[in-house]
Amino acid sequence: MRPLEFGRLAWRSIGSHRLRSALTTLGIIIGIAAVIAFVTLGASLQAGLLGDISPDDQRNLYGWAAEPETEGGPLAGAQPVFTQDDLERVDELEDVDAAYGYMPISTQALAYDGELTPQSDALIAAGPPYIRPETIDEGRQFEMGEREAVINPAVAGQFEENVSVGDELTIVRQGGEQTSVTVVGITDSSEGLSPFEGFEPSPRVYVPTDPYYTEEVDGIGAGFGGDEAAEDEADEADPADGDDGDAATAEDARFLAIVVEAPSADEGDIDQARDSALAVLESDDSDASELLGDDLEITMQTSTELLQQLQDILDLLQNFIVGIAAISLVVGSIGIANIMLVSVTERTREIGIMKAVGAQNRDVLGLFLTEAVVLGVIGAILGTVLGLAVGYAGAWYIDIPLVYPYEYVALAVAVGILVGVLSGLYPAWRAARTDPIDALRYE
Amino acid sequence: MATGTAVSLENVRKTYQLAEPVHALDGVDLEIPEGSYTAIMGPSGSGKSTLMNLVGCLDTPTDGTVVVGGQDVGDLDDRERTTLRGMTVGFVFQTFNLMPRLTALENVALPQLFQGVSRNERTDRARELLERVGLGDRMDHLPNELSGGQRQRVALARALVNDPTIVLADEPSGNLDTETEADVLDLFDEFHDAGTTMLVVTHERHVASRAERIVHLLDGQIERIEELDSSDASPRSSAGHDPDERTGSAPGANG
Repeated sequence: MRPLEFGRLAWRSIGSHRLRSALTTLGIIIGIAAVIAFVTLGASLQAGLLGDISPDDQRNLYGWAAEPETEGGPLAGAQPVFTQDDLERVDELEDVDAAYGYMPISTQALAYDGELTPQSDALIAAGPPYIRPETIDEGRQFEMGEREAVINPAVAGQFEENVSVGDELTIVRQGGEQTSVTVVGITDSSEGLSPFEGFEPSPRVYVPTDPYYTEEVDGIGAGFGGDEAAEDEADEADPADGDDGDAATAEDARFLAIVVEAPSADEGDIDQARDSALAVLESDDSDASELLGDDLEITMQTSTELLQQLQDILDLLQNFIVGIAAISLVVGSIGIANIMLVSVTERTREIGIMKAVGAQNRDVLGLFLTEAVVLGVIGAILGTVLGLAVGYAGAWYIDIPLVYPYEYVALAVAVGILVGVLSGLYPAWRAARTDPIDALRYE
Repeated sequence: MATGTAVSLENVRKTYQLAEPVHALDGVDLEIPEGSYTAIMGPSGSGKSTLMNLVGCLDTPTDGTVVVGGQDVGDLDDRERTTLRGMTVGFVFQTFNLMPRLTALENVALPQLFQGVSRNERTDRARELLERVGLGDRMDHLPNELSGGQRQRVALARALVNDPTIVLADEPSGNLDTETEADVLDLFDEFHDAGTTMLVVTHERHVASRAERIVHLLDGQIERIEELDSSDASPRSSAGHDPDERTGSAPGANG
């Protein structure tokens, strides 16, 4: 007897007990749907994050100082400890291509052409290499020491008239004072350029740390490297002009984070750059070491490594869900086995008829096994469809690109077959060894 | 009429080991020629069902030999017996025993499914037989959409689908009213006339009298064999009426 014939007969008997069959497969549907939904979401999330890391970003090391074991990803618990001196010393290292500070600066608003829009966290001070050439859609990187900015499309488009290269923007600081800046470049995407910013699209204005951060420090006096400047008087003050008596100077500016660019994305180069940079920053004669003490530790990682932490959390969650799904599948299998046993008893007479007209034991076995497998596979397919629907809805809701986990769909069907075989084996064996004489007499 | 032997039983004994051994059949000798029409009668407990099971290759004898279609059933393993049953025996039951979820056509085609016959071939054969039993317009009906007489005709068509050596009918008209019973038995006659070997188990005299001979069973032994003149259907005894004296086609039947 051919498998197709088994399938036809199995389908006939499943179809005659629709409700029962549907309820039986529910356990499988839920189990498979849970896995597929989560895998779809996980894969989409991963693609959404990893897709934003350009190959060139692979050679950037993102460093910050925080108490060891602080959880929460990039910049979690970061303290401003890095000075311009430290950065320069790292920058001069042979193993390092470039090093610069990173500092988000709080603002009140952005203004263009007399139009004011509130904006608290758009301003980011960094070194010119922070704007990687391939991310610039129009214009160029800003230059250190110049009142220049690179903006992203979200900023360019948020005013009535689009901001373009060469236009002047006005930045209104926390204190209310205003600084003007010339737009020299526009990026190709509104997503963050590094793990420090996060990857979600948001308006951002990138400016050089000098003058925008250093002059802020100039204004508020020593000790505060933060972005909580309240009384900055040095609006249009000459930036970074060295020592100025007792006043705080650019030299005292401490950065929240540091970006170190290795010569290449090669793992060896990155490790060397990391080791050399850490050696300088942690050495006793660095400015950072004054503040590091025993409490703070410098973390230096690439985007990929930082995302790995997220990945680990995702993996952990995934294992958890798969565990629950496995339990659901076991329960579902028991359900199928149970209903198959009932079915075998109910159809004892039919088994007798089939055997009387020449059905071999293996035919009867195959028939019931096929029925269990069909139930399992239907459960798997419906579960997959449901899981994909939920996964896509979730991905759409949190606005990440959809990824089709094809291999899991195939896996789900394989699991459905396996569940069917395992749960159908014993009932089918019971059916196969039914004595036709007794079965024909069965009422 | 063919001259070979469809089924032969030689000194057949079947013992069931219950609380104490029960001899369902106790030394039965019987030969059923090809193309013959035999009825088996007897009170319940006389061994009719056991005899049916043995001839139908559903069971094996405790002792003696049962030869069906030239093969000794006792020598075969379960698989071979199933194949032999499928190919050489057609069953007709009192309760019809059709598959409830299969149409008349599919029921008739079912035995050939297990013989690996292709779908088209099966369907053609089943259609032909259903037309011969007068159900050409009921092929796609499910059993519960058919009357008792129609169901039994489907069952007869199914029994004939593999061109069996023998058709075994167990109380074939037990669930039918008089009129449909006559229709079904007429069909039996028709197929018998066409050369099919028939073995009918019944407790009703008028059903048995359609046969060429009646085998009377009592307490697991053949009480007597009654030869009937098929042309005028009047009973004609071939043996003495002493119940202790067993008669059969083969000598030495004493157990």
